[in-house]
Amino acid sequence: MMYLIAILIAILVFVIVVQIGKVNELAARLRGEEKAEHDGNEWNARMMLVFLVGFLAFAVGTSVYYYPYMLGYGPNILPTIHGPQIMQLFNITLFFTGIVFVITHILLFWFAYRYRNSKDRVAEFIPHDNKLEIIWTAIPAVVMAILVVFGLVAWNDAMSDVDADGEALGYVKVGTGDVENGTKNYIEIGATGLQFNWILRHPGRDGLLGTKNWQLITGSNQLGQDFKDSKNIDDIILDELVLPKGHTVRARISSRDVLHNFDIPHFFVKMDAIPGMPTYFKFTPTMTTEEYRDHLSQFPEWQVPADPEEPDGPQRWEAFNFELACAELCGKGHYSMRKIVRVVTEEEYNAWLDQAESTSFYLNEIRGTDDDPFLSRPTLQIEKRIREREAKKAKPAPSDVPAPTPGDTPAPEGQPLEGGETGSIQPLNSGTVGTSTTTTTVGNAVQSTVNSATITGTNVVNSATEAVQTGVNTAINAVNNAANSATNAVNNAVETTKEAASSAADKAGDAIDKAKDKAGEVKDNLLNNPK
Amino acid sequence: MADLKHNDGLLVEEYADYLYDGFHDHHHGDKYQTGFISHYIFSMDHKMIAKQFLITGMFWGLIGGLMSLVFRLQLGFPEASMAWLKPLLGKWITISEATGVGTLDPQFYYALVTMHGTILVFFVLTAGLSGTFSNLLIPLQLGARDMASPFMNMLSYWFFFLAGAVMFASLFLNTGPFSGGWTAYPPLSALPQASSGSAGGMTLWILSLVLFVVSVLLGGINYITTVLNLRTKGMSLWRMPLTIWAFFVTAILGLLSFPVLASGFFLVMCDRGLNTSFFLNEIYVGGQALEQVGGSPILYQHLFWFLGHPEVYIIILPAMGLVSEVLAVNARKPIFGYHAMVYSIMAIGFLSFIVWAHHMFMAGVNPFISNIFVIFTLIIAVPSAVKVFNWISTLYGGNIRFNPGMLFAIGFVSLFISGGLTGIFLGNSAIDIPMHDTYFVVAHFHIVMGVAAFFGMFAGVYHWFPKMYGRFMNDTLGKIHFWGTMIGAYAVFWPMHYIGMAGVPRRYYSFSTFDFSNQFAATNEFITIAAIITFGFQVIFVINFFYSIFYGKKQTTRNPYGATTLEWTTAINPGHGNWPGGIPAVHRWAYDYGKMGEEFIPQVEPVSEKEKEFDEAHPH
Amino acid sequence: MFMLWIAIASLCMMFAAMTSFILVRESSGNWLEFTLPSLFFWNTAVIILSSITLHVSYWGYKNGKVGLYRGLLPVSLILGCLFVVFQYKGWMAMQGMGIHITGNASGAITYVVSALHAVHVLGGIGALVLANAHAFLLPYKITETRKQRFARTVTYWHFVDILWVYLLIVFINVL
Repeated sequence: MMYLIAILIAILVFVIVVQIGKVNELAARLRGEEKAEHDGNEWNARMMLVFLVGFLAFAVGTSVYYYPYMLGYGPNILPTIHGPQIMQLFNITLFFTGIVFVITHILLFWFAYRYRNSKDRVAEFIPHDNKLEIIWTAIPAVVMAILVVFGLVAWNDAMSDVDADGEALGYVKVGTGDVENGTKNYIEIGATGLQFNWILRHPGRDGLLGTKNWQLITGSNQLGQDFKDSKNIDDIILDELVLPKGHTVRARISSRDVLHNFDIPHFFVKMDAIPGMPTYFKFTPTMTTEEYRDHLSQFPEWQVPADPEEPDGPQRWEAFNFELACAELCGKGHYSMRKIVRVVTEEEYNAWLDQAESTSFYLNEIRGTDDDPFLSRPTLQIEKRIREREAKKAKPAPSDVPAPTPGDTPAPEGQPLEGGETGSIQPLNSGTVGTSTTTTTVGNAVQSTVNSATITGTNVVNSATEAVQTGVNTAINAVNNAANSATNAVNNAVETTKEAASSAADKAGDAIDKAKDKAGEVKDNLLNNPK
Repeated sequence: MADLKHNDGLLVEEYADYLYDGFHDHHHGDKYQTGFISHYIFSMDHKMIAKQFLITGMFWGLIGGLMSLVFRLQLGFPEASMAWLKPLLGKWITISEATGVGTLDPQFYYALVTMHGTILVFFVLTAGLSGTFSNLLIPLQLGARDMASPFMNMLSYWFFFLAGAVMFASLFLNTGPFSGGWTAYPPLSALPQASSGSAGGMTLWILSLVLFVVSVLLGGINYITTVLNLRTKGMSLWRMPLTIWAFFVTAILGLLSFPVLASGFFLVMCDRGLNTSFFLNEIYVGGQALEQVGGSPILYQHLFWFLGHPEVYIIILPAMGLVSEVLAVNARKPIFGYHAMVYSIMAIGFLSFIVWAHHMFMAGVNPFISNIFVIFTLIIAVPSAVKVFNWISTLYGGNIRFNPGMLFAIGFVSLFISGGLTGIFLGNSAIDIPMHDTYFVVAHFHIVMGVAAFFGMFAGVYHWFPKMYGRFMNDTLGKIHFWGTMIGAYAVFWPMHYIGMAGVPRRYYSFSTFDFSNQFAATNEFITIAAIITFGFQVIFVINFFYSIFYGKKQTTRNPYGATTLEWTTAINPGHGNWPGGIPAVHRWAYDYGKMGEEFIPQVEPVSEKEKEFDEAHPH
Repeated sequence: MFMLWIAIASLCMMFAAMTSFILVRESSGNWLEFTLPSLFFWNTAVIILSSITLHVSYWGYKNGKVGLYRGLLPVSLILGCLFVVFQYKGWMAMQGMGIHITGNASGAITYVVSALHAVHVLGGIGALVLANAHAFLLPYKITETRKQRFARTVTYWHFVDILWVYLLIVFINVL
């Protein structure tokens, strides 16, 4: 029924349109073709001016209306180092193109009006003017050259990544305090896109992301982390990306399946995620989420309830979060790959890392199982740290300052315990980045003194521990070797029986894996279909 | 339209001299084309083929436009029920049992977006624009009987038709039409496990486009050969109208760039069907780790965009050529800076081959290489700017008639300025970091391709309609069409700049997942309503077009616009062979408007002594 | 003929694209070098010879040497077909060496590009079949139309030949 009406309406529209046309044609003929044509020309010429005014007003008006929404304008300041530099380039371009836009439009529509048809005139025969051509070729060329220069500087700064020694170039801005990064001067975060989510990975205190292999991917090991690589021991899979303010972050971006794009709009961070080939984007957040929220709270449009249906709930500024999105079409769920990015102070970051460490995938899922390549080692550095921390929590130490712990270095295979090497601890400066309050400065100074003392003390303790550890290592090695030889003998003897038993175990293992995979897939489906 | 004979009242036959080529000795007048089939269907006459391209292009334009309305409904009114579309879209609308609300399947949303892009870029703006006007105007404006190979010309159309038929069929597949974006990046497009649209839909999509490439190449070969070899006596290259220059350079671009696209497609097909690893590397999808290693998706992007960028110039150059012509004729003034315009066309054509990687700034390409592409991309802005200034100067001092063709030509200039300027932002790689793959890009290319190029096409259709059908399209409806579209198109695409600057990515089914995008409900509604209304104005155009073929005001004089070019020296309905006797020879360039007080002097008129003195004092 | 040259330019672009793919892919690593089977080289001799015989046949047509004309045309056709057969055997030889299309990119692209070339050779063979038909079914007469048609066939065949030599050089350099 609806469709019958729709068809009838369509026919009606057709008839109306045709009639409008015919009527006007008839009217024109009655009035006299020439007069009709003249009137038509006059009307259109005047409309050209009306359109000019209306269009420019529209352009300006919409710019004003949308000003509070655009990143880099209004409330939406850019909380990274490279963001404002790009915005400056944008504004320079806007300046030049804006001038061209206005002038050419005025000329275009004014000339259309001014030189509208008139019986009393013949058009002027001006076929060309070479001087003019040269002028209006040279000026755009010069402007483009200016834009190129500014643009390439900004581009090369933003994309400068790391040098041959792995040191971050360009915006290395180490903040006010100790953020463990192993030996690197930036924090490398792994972001892997898949259909349809992001797997975010923190490298742990060693600052190194462990290797992954797509062939090792299972339902539970979503990244295919190769746990034979000890760098994976402390890697943490994140629910939201936690970053310390004032430290350079290098996102190592990859994909599990199709192309995705790691996009944090507020940070001006964007880079394609390619399966099998990591890409990188280096940036430095300059404001914490809290600070950004405080900033937004000054603006009336942010002081409204975040959820219109909950007028007593948090306001928009309180509910604000930096978000990670996907910006390369990746299939039907492309629009739903959301993760939150939270920038915190260094203290908060350290505290977070303390607690997050124990959620390391390896520790929770692999450690102690048959898949554990480090099964033979009784204690790992990270376990030791966690235990110490828990012990400290039970009886708090005299100073509340967290003792800087030596970072993990990647241990070659076969060494029972990772050798402790004091990680590079940066001496504290007072507030090099952003907004430090006086209290923080004082607090920093206090911390600074305490830390220096603690560092010296810890160094002494560490050296002693190392000596003891080496002794213990040798003893353990000897025992292990003896045990190994004995085991080998036994193994050879019962090899046949073992094989039979292991194939049975394999089958059982397969079944378990399949069950695990299935569980993982179910988890995947739940992840991928937020609806 | 007033009758505008040449000022002396003389008819062409009375003063022109001719090139006699024995054409009519071989082709005995109208006995050449008999029968409905060889006249209307498998025609080898360039004028009929032009109309075939035009009408097929219009058909696809309506389909592509309707598709955009469906996905705009999703974006503008995400909560509204689309149950009423179920009879048309079938399984792609799911109706909730509880509420009766119909939702559009995101998979099909992406298929619509993909098809919209593919159809409009290739079928409408390449075939429908170049195909129509190159075919119509090249022989007529150059003084040729037909194209160099009328047979290949016919094949060119029918390959296009076949390509369309295959694409149409793909819309009805159970797994759905291809849905990976018109850019078809692997691995998404190579793996059916990653998207159901990448199953049969992708195969048909590639097949359709390979057929389309054949069509473009056949056409291009014809256009180039005709321009170089079949000009009439006196028609040197520097006397050709700008339309021909534009079509000529466009054909060269197509010839050199489409084969590269075909190569990319072959390699994708190998990855799909033969398990090769050209573009695939270390992929885990559908619960399985695939074996392919060593490939690089970036290589596909290089091959695709090597065509992709010249393609957009293949779209805009013909539109520019048509606009130059329409502006000059209706301003009664020569196109300003003819030589500069020709050099600009050549510069744009050449430069278009070395800017392609500006589509790949964020693709993981070595940033050092991107520097080079920034430089060339910003350089290509210069000839484009020169053309804009020349068009504006054409209006200066003119005596402008606002027929629908002229209105669209002027509108074109405004839209090309607006859309072109945002290209300068995007071409600067640092600005591309926040803008890449956002609505800012969508705004840019729609204004410059989706509106400006269309305006060029409309200007051409209104202006040369009498040449095609011996009648005029209705003036009033044309004006309504123009003003409605001019205002509507800006209303649709201008706000998208701002959404893009807020960081909203393109190709999003829904804005509600993210806080930063969830604030634009009102804008999306506005855009959708504007789009629906603007589409309505196109319906007026279509009605006008078909009605006027049969009932439009008849053309009573051969040269109703008082134009100088050769196509207006034929009879009102030029038959096969275009001129009944010999072909008129040409003595001057195409832009003698307002020269020495004469309103226009046709190209075929010999140069008088008085003129020779004038020319020496004022060389052009 | 002019149109044929434009079409050839277009085809060159396609193979240029393939060449650039090969070069970029090779420099990205994970590229297995292998020795092309000798059949590829024999094939080069075959196609060059077929070009020579075809050209002499054409010369014969233009200069009244009917014997050469009608004698060498079938030879060219047979050599052309032999090329395709040898190409196939060359692929089999590669398979025997363990180079598979699903394997390393170096082998895969060799298969694909030589296949693309072979497809164009097949087109040329079609034209040669037509030329042979004209040679034997029509009485010998030098007309402009027939000469032009023959010339186009010869040009296209030379293109396919030179293209093969070019591709061989590329293969030798990267494999």
